[in-house]
Amino acid sequence: MASVELERKYNAGVLGVVASGMKRIGVSPLGLVLLIIVALLPLVPPFNQEHMVRWLIMGAFLAAQAAAFDFTAGYINVVNFGFAAILGLGAYTSAILANKMPFLIVQPGISPWIGIWIGALLAGLVGLGLGWLTLRLRGIFAAVMAWFVGIALMGLVRNLTPLTRGPLGMNPSSLLDTTANTPYYYIILIMMLVVYVSLRLVTQSKYGLAFKAIGQNLDAARASGINPTRYRVFNFALSSFFAGWLGGFYAHYYGSLTPQTLMHTSKTVEVLALVYIGGRGSMWGGMFVAFPFVFFIEYLRSNLTELPGLHLVIYGVLMILVMIFYPNGLAGLYNWGKEKIASFRS
Amino acid sequence: MDKKASSGNSIVTSAVTKITDNLAASTVVAGTVVLAIVIGIVGGPSQIINSVVTGGMWALLAVGLALVFGVMNVPHFAHGESFMVGAYVAYFVFSPIHRSLKDNPNAFLSAVAPFLAILAAGGAGLLLGVILERFLFYPLRLRTKSGWVMNAFLLTVGISFIMTNGATLTLGPDFRGIPRYWDVPPLQLGNVRIAVDRIIAFFIAIVSIAALWFFLRRTRTGTAIRAVSQDELGAQMMGINLNFIYPLTFALATAMAALSGASLLFMFQAYPTVGLKPLYFAWYVVMLAGLGNVVGAIVGGFIVAVLQSATQLFTFTVTVLGEEFQIGGIAWEDVIPTFVMIIVLLVVPSGIFGSEVKGVQEQ
Repeated sequence: MASVELERKYNAGVLGVVASGMKRIGVSPLGLVLLIIVALLPLVPPFNQEHMVRWLIMGAFLAAQAAAFDFTAGYINVVNFGFAAILGLGAYTSAILANKMPFLIVQPGISPWIGIWIGALLAGLVGLGLGWLTLRLRGIFAAVMAWFVGIALMGLVRNLTPLTRGPLGMNPSSLLDTTANTPYYYIILIMMLVVYVSLRLVTQSKYGLAFKAIGQNLDAARASGINPTRYRVFNFALSSFFAGWLGGFYAHYYGSLTPQTLMHTSKTVEVLALVYIGGRGSMWGGMFVAFPFVFFIEYLRSNLTELPGLHLVIYGVLMILVMIFYPNGLAGLYNWGKEKIASFRS
Repeated sequence: MDKKASSGNSIVTSAVTKITDNLAASTVVAGTVVLAIVIGIVGGPSQIINSVVTGGMWALLAVGLALVFGVMNVPHFAHGESFMVGAYVAYFVFSPIHRSLKDNPNAFLSAVAPFLAILAAGGAGLLLGVILERFLFYPLRLRTKSGWVMNAFLLTVGISFIMTNGATLTLGPDFRGIPRYWDVPPLQLGNVRIAVDRIIAFFIAIVSIAALWFFLRRTRTGTAIRAVSQDELGAQMMGINLNFIYPLTFALATAMAALSGASLLFMFQAYPTVGLKPLYFAWYVVMLAGLGNVVGAIVGGFIVAVLQSATQLFTFTVTVLGEEFQIGGIAWEDVIPTFVMIIVLLVVPSGIFGSEVKGVQEQ
């Protein structure tokens, strides 16, 4: 409590108010600087080439996914193995709603700007169901159950060919009329921020405390009067809602959807690896790692075309090394460094 | 059977009492039997034989999964990759021999070569298991204080990711398969024709499971493994060396997956992601039977196989908005069993035969 008082004293003045406000939504001064740099990158020479902007978009897309994934994995300690499938559900919903082509049985032709939200809502509903389904199951059972649901969803998308064209894939319409990538970059950047800030606001409230309590010890949490049902279902639903929302962006930006490239378990594993390397339970760790990682991986992919899959092997090796030798990830390293500096000062 | 029962340690009687004591298990088993009979009537006896053969293979895979979970508390996600390694090893051992046999035929060698390939795959599986345990799970065990089950699970996810992509990197995405192991006409049983490869694959599954059973029940080391699965600390106090038991268990499980990958090479070809389907069928089995329950896994293997053939056999079409949706058929074999699994798990969250493993209770 005393430290809070002290903080308030120091946070007087306009700058202080801004700083404490930023802290509330989980953006530290360093984070703000990084954000501004990331936002300005597509205007700076080496990064303003179209393919680089595409990589940046990929980075922001993965970063937002990492935040939504970590909300479940890092807080209530349940790994949602069907994450990619739920994201794909949002993408497909929005794509089908926007469809005007005669090759599908329905042509609603709803604007993608509205469809994205409907897709997100549907994904959130499925997340709600998934949360309810895995409610009685503990850690590993819940993860495997979510995986089964993901497999079933992917199978449904693959098999309902009159609606989704199955493995052939869909080509949903674009969100904007332009072919430039930069506007999309700012859209996904804003989406990333919305995901991060809203999830951060939730975890800073009493909900965050309850999530952590449930994640660490379910029985102890229940004994202290926390109703795990409500919190777990809410957590799953919110995380899935954002996953579906991001999926909608994917559909209307890339303009091509197949079950295999979007909903496969390996897509979940990619996000999982990011979250672990960045530091589980920190939420910003995975987001921070996403940008350099996409560049590193895309660079490898475009320069070592004779070695397909090398980037994914590196992904996996890094994840295993972090998991065994440094389970706190990058966020753990950062906190350790911060503590060291603080103890050095005093 | 009676003689065995009177000696008080019959597998069959204990399994039977386990089933009759348990309402969920008996319902599911009875339902499966009815379903199998319906399949037999509609699709003919060859369908039943098919599901028995696949059931044996799922059981072999699932037993490995159950063993690793029961003894080491590792929910093994890279089990399918052991299957893949087995398939590759068998292919690379078998196809050169097969090619040389074309030039100079040798009846004895052509009968033995498939067994050589399958045994080589089993050996490779043992080696792979020991390596994975020593270099990955051992360091993780030293460093993990809490949440071992989840950490181990995610570690196996990483292993699976590396192995599939490593296979793409080194061997390429090509499919390497063989039409059959034995160049003999299919067996004629009444009016049913069964390929010899299928029969031998089934026997390999049965013999491996029986051998494992014998090993676990009748040898000192096997007893030690079971002791560890019941009480790790107590087993340690009795002088059991965990650093020997863990690699051994893991190697056995990996070898069983490799064996099934090798003996099913004629059905599944060898390619980097071949392990995914066997993996999730094996997981259906252990989730259905109860994690870590080895006996349950054997029964569960056949239940899942029957469910799978029912999905392939019964198709119906639903007309929505003038368009026909076909439900059922081979493309649905991962969708419909999943829905059944979800319903079963909703009723009995710890599987129909129950799970007595301590790790399950860990968050």
